[in-house]
Amino acid sequence: MKGKVIVITSGKGGVGKTTTTANIGSALAMMNKKVVLIDTDIGLRNLDVVMGLENRIVFDIVDVVNNNCKLKQALIKDKRFEGLYLLPAAQTKDKTAVTPHQMKNLTNELRGDFDFILVDCPAGIEQGFKNAIAGADDAIVVATPEVSSVRDADRIIGLLEAAGLNNPRLIINRLRSKMVKRGDMMDIGDIIEILSIDLLGVVPEDEAIVISTNKGEPAVTDSNSRAGAAYKRIARRITGENVPIESLDEGNFMERFRRMLKLAR
Amino acid sequence: MSSAVKILEGEKIINLEIYDTFMDMKKGLKEEIRQNQKYRLGDKVNVYIGYKNLSQKQIRELEDILLDYGLHLKELMTNGPPGQENSFFLPQNEENAGFPADMPEYEETALIRKNLRSGQKCFARGNIVILGDVNPGAEVIAGGNILVMGVLRGMAHAGAFGDEKAIIAAYRLIPTQLRIANHITRPPDGEVIMVNTPELARIRAGKVVIEKLKI
Repeated sequence: MKGKVIVITSGKGGVGKTTTTANIGSALAMMNKKVVLIDTDIGLRNLDVVMGLENRIVFDIVDVVNNNCKLKQALIKDKRFEGLYLLPAAQTKDKTAVTPHQMKNLTNELRGDFDFILVDCPAGIEQGFKNAIAGADDAIVVATPEVSSVRDADRIIGLLEAAGLNNPRLIINRLRSKMVKRGDMMDIGDIIEILSIDLLGVVPEDEAIVISTNKGEPAVTDSNSRAGAAYKRIARRITGENVPIESLDEGNFMERFRRMLKLAR
Repeated sequence: MSSAVKILEGEKIINLEIYDTFMDMKKGLKEEIRQNQKYRLGDKVNVYIGYKNLSQKQIRELEDILLDYGLHLKELMTNGPPGQENSFFLPQNEENAGFPADMPEYEETALIRKNLRSGQKCFARGNIVILGDVNPGAEVIAGGNILVMGVLRGMAHAGAFGDEKAIIAAYRLIPTQLRIANHITRPPDGEVIMVNTPELARIRAGKVVIEKLKI
């Protein structure tokens, strides 16, 4: 098995990197893929909380790179899905506890056992970011339809390209179609025009995400969640399936048609 | 005037008013002298330029051309208001302005074949041509002119060593800030005006002005 290492990053904090990692990982596991999620946000770990696995942590990523334990010992098996594992970050250390070289070795070791290795990147462009992208084959950039988020995403894409990750794909998170319609929010076309990268998916704003995050249940497990459905489609696209980008609301025919044209640009 | 050259009371006048750019003017002048036999070495000629204004440097260039053929400039005849020393004057259709005739020339030109993203910076002693977009947060700094064959949304600084004749041209000009020599401008606050044509920024009368660019 030759797994693919995908880093999920954004530059700006709070746009939904961790939520995206948790949901895409769960959705891939639901498709019977073997998936491991790596939290590289050492000192500010969250992915374990979102996954509801916090109380199972014994060893973490820093223990692994320092050879305090075997890699297998630190991997936490998910409570819902067969084939889904989490490698948690350390909370008591900081980003300098791991080097990019160690991260590369770590991801290479995991490639043999998993189909997908999803790396949850910390906010910022410093050591934590450099660690997270070190072993990656592919990158997913998460941005919300806000000018500040798009600006940071642009910066991150530049840094990814400089590091040889040439075709990052974009997830637009927390889109409120009503606000876009009123012209109060950047629309997908505006964002794509500035960032000029491929769109991997659009996730609508969904209050259910807050509830599922707090409960430690990824939204993809809730069949009524719109965001969860969007993440499932994104996961299918990651496996190479051709899933068209969905229209976000039930506007009239002409409007949907116009939006399709805009996306195709 | 249909004919470019007229003889009045024994004086020779060359009409350069018919040309739209200074480049054409120079070319036209050379052609007229070459094709006409009536000019003799040492002749003094008048040059008529109508309502157009030439800078001192441009007048000197015309004089140099005449001297190459052994002719002297007697008088520069204009209909324009005296005392103005603007660059080439295009009163009727400023919207159709091309690149200015007095745009500085630099030996070195850097060609950049990618989008400049936030945090990326490019610098050249001469001109910079970018085949892509310049996004907000990116910086382009050139000793000479800057040409962006995409959308300029970031900061561009032309004539960074003090060349006030340097220009910034872009397929779409929506910059966060423009700098030419030591002049710094930003778009006015408030409403964003969308212009769907290429534009050009340069210094006119001590101010950075933006004009539509017809290529």
